[in-house]
Amino acid sequence: MTLEPTSIMPLDDVRVIDLTHRTAGPFGTRILGDYGADVIKIERPETGDPTRSMPPFYKDEPGLERSGLFMFLNTNKRSMTLDLKSERGREIVKELVKGAQIVVESFSPGTMDAIGLGYEDLKKINPKLVMTSVSNYGQDGPYRDYIGIELNLYAMGGSMTSSGDVDNEPLKTAGRMVSYHAGYAAALASALGLFQVEFRDADGDYMDVSIFETAMHSIDMRLGRLMGYQYTGHIGTRPGRAVAVGGGVHPCSDGFFLMTGGPRFIPNIIRMIGMEELLEQPEWGTAEGRANPDRIDEFLAHIIPWTLERTKEEVRAACEEFAVLGGPLNTIEDLVNNPQFVARNYFQEIDHPTTGPIKYPGYHNRMHREGVDFPKRRRPPLLGEHTDEVLSEIGLSADAIAALRKDGVV
Amino acid sequence: MVSTGSRRLPLEGVRILDITVVWAGPYGTQVLADWGAEIIRIESIKHFPPTTRGMMPYPDRNMPSLGGGSAQFPDHEPGKRPWNRWASFNAHARNKRSMTVDLRRPEGQEVFDRLLRISDGVMENNVPISMERVNVTWERVHEVNPRAIMIRQPAFGIDGPYKNYRTFGSHMAAVVGHYSFMGYRDEDPSMTGNTLTADAAGGAAGALAFSAGLRHREKTGEGLFIELSTAENFMTYLGDQFMDYSMNGRQPGHQGNRDPQYAPQGVYPCLGDDRWIAISVQSDEAWQALAGTVMQRPDLASDSRFATLAGRQEHHDELDVELLTWTVTQDAIEAMNLLQANNIAAGTVMAESDAYADPHMQARGFWEELTAEEVGTHLYTSTLWTAKNTPRRHRWGPPRMGEDNEYVYKELLGFSDAEYKEYEAAGHIGMDYDLDPGD
Repeated sequence: MTLEPTSIMPLDDVRVIDLTHRTAGPFGTRILGDYGADVIKIERPETGDPTRSMPPFYKDEPGLERSGLFMFLNTNKRSMTLDLKSERGREIVKELVKGAQIVVESFSPGTMDAIGLGYEDLKKINPKLVMTSVSNYGQDGPYRDYIGIELNLYAMGGSMTSSGDVDNEPLKTAGRMVSYHAGYAAALASALGLFQVEFRDADGDYMDVSIFETAMHSIDMRLGRLMGYQYTGHIGTRPGRAVAVGGGVHPCSDGFFLMTGGPRFIPNIIRMIGMEELLEQPEWGTAEGRANPDRIDEFLAHIIPWTLERTKEEVRAACEEFAVLGGPLNTIEDLVNNPQFVARNYFQEIDHPTTGPIKYPGYHNRMHREGVDFPKRRRPPLLGEHTDEVLSEIGLSADAIAALRKDGVV
Repeated sequence: MVSTGSRRLPLEGVRILDITVVWAGPYGTQVLADWGAEIIRIESIKHFPPTTRGMMPYPDRNMPSLGGGSAQFPDHEPGKRPWNRWASFNAHARNKRSMTVDLRRPEGQEVFDRLLRISDGVMENNVPISMERVNVTWERVHEVNPRAIMIRQPAFGIDGPYKNYRTFGSHMAAVVGHYSFMGYRDEDPSMTGNTLTADAAGGAAGALAFSAGLRHREKTGEGLFIELSTAENFMTYLGDQFMDYSMNGRQPGHQGNRDPQYAPQGVYPCLGDDRWIAISVQSDEAWQALAGTVMQRPDLASDSRFATLAGRQEHHDELDVELLTWTVTQDAIEAMNLLQANNIAAGTVMAESDAYADPHMQARGFWEELTAEEVGTHLYTSTLWTAKNTPRRHRWGPPRMGEDNEYVYKELLGFSDAEYKEYEAAGHIGMDYDLDPGD
């Protein structure tokens, strides 16, 4: 196939029909948008993607154009409204699919088939189409219709079993780790499917992304421990407080610092805190001595007075100097002032009619090309902002669009 | 979905030189290898990469904390070549190849160039100073092979004051603010433990970056350099928390296992040792089903204090005790199935044994059996997703260090037997460490 040789972004001649909602699917299409794809987000009329009604809201006032979650997930996309329950709405999806390379959807398994927009229907219209479905448990299997949210999907698939403290209940991770990992998988599945179509002369494909599986597949604690269990029958426990001499979360003058201990790092830690004389004592001078877990509390008495006298950034700089592994426990406020992220100009300011210009997390990568200015992220779309634009691109007249609007199709 | 496809894997014919370490980088090349890319791990018998192939080359089985836990080795036995038996490595290395060369010497550099000329690109996630020492930079890669794609993935990127700050995923999580949200309620962060999600996120991002680079290369004929800070990438996983700060100046603290929108929600103990179930009540109807139908507690179901989300949040501590009183009498798996049958969000906190026994995973063909020399026969996670027309099928198990030296040197680079022996004698080619002092 012929490709535009002067393009700027790797996917900037790719069109994605985005039938996802909530968090996992939209995270995936957001990344495709960041790589330059034209993502047409189809939302239900009136209320739109349910994340528009999910917190956090700007100034804590709910409203369809006020959700920070929605805004974060939907930069670099166009929004059109469409009633998929109507025959005409489904015809419009099929029209759009003719000119698209990728469809991503996240309805409950079976929904797309039931409304005549399943892979078998769409591939008749566009045999080269890559269609990616994101669902909690996948398109089949005994749990197909089970309810899935971050909490229970992390419990089942993720590494909750090794998260938290051994004397307490397993602990949920923060944020939307499980959903977003599946979003990445959806973006990657779509990209590899497209590669196969374009450069391996293959027909399209249908990708089934299960959040449960992507969590179980994640290298986060889980993968190594799963293999370790087969090797020895060992069931992993939760580490919680210090598990090795010198390690743990140590208090600083302005917060906390996570440090990795263990026999390999203790000599460096000892040098960092200026107690080299310890290394001449037999219990600290040998690896065996340093590995003895009875020394955990003894060593805390050496290190905590030292960390308490320093800020977490000072401790970090010392760790870098003495080859100790660790990291400051930052807050979001720390991040926006952090010398590294500021020096790299990581954060992006994006203007929006509701919020005015505010900071967003930046691109997840940097493409380096001499003499090429990469486009700035476009702000998240208002509900249906691009409905007319997209419909006219597939040849609908202003009158036809007006008729659709009158009938509540858009 | 069990794939019925039989066609070629999408990345067959794509060759990537893999200089990744520990987890984030290797996870990215794992996903690409699973979908057909020829991933050639470049290793060195002169340098042991700590954590990647074990904590130390020859750990003592009786000192588990020195070896990172003997649970990492089959039958707790490190064996003659412990680096080939390390669970954390073997879990990601299926479908990859391994060759050895010492990049610190000129003839090693020459081998790298020759390989690079017949490859599609390079992926690495080392601290920049390490790559600069062996001159593996974009400038060099691009000069040797203008069509090559390069993904550089140091924790904090290739510039800035943190450029050479070494961290694991758990520390990156700290730096980007993860533990300011994750943690037990009303507790300081010392009991949180740590999470390595930054590595998983980074791996997925690296794989996608390489795929995007491939398309760019096919379109323009030119390679592409994508730099990916694993920490910056992971910060996006806290997007809505970041937005709350950006929009409202808010930085909420530890939420434990609770959620402002759902109550009761928590992780509760079940019958047996260290058995748990996660439960989230997401509506008033779900509460009625839980209290009335599942727990058989009409007194709770009809108690007006618990009828609304606000009421259940206010009395959350009390409800936790009521739920726990029921869950401790239940089997963790049966309780999940019962709760889900009543439309209540619930999931067993699956231990490793649960994962392999899980009927859903089995029905979907998620575990694949592979045999690896010096390791044995084990189950491996399948691909990250299922493709209808493309087989979900691994090709081989994790490679031993240097296992593919003959293939790489003789078949790919055309070395004669004599040259091969010469490189063997010079300490480039081998399957056992011959460490320089200090390595």
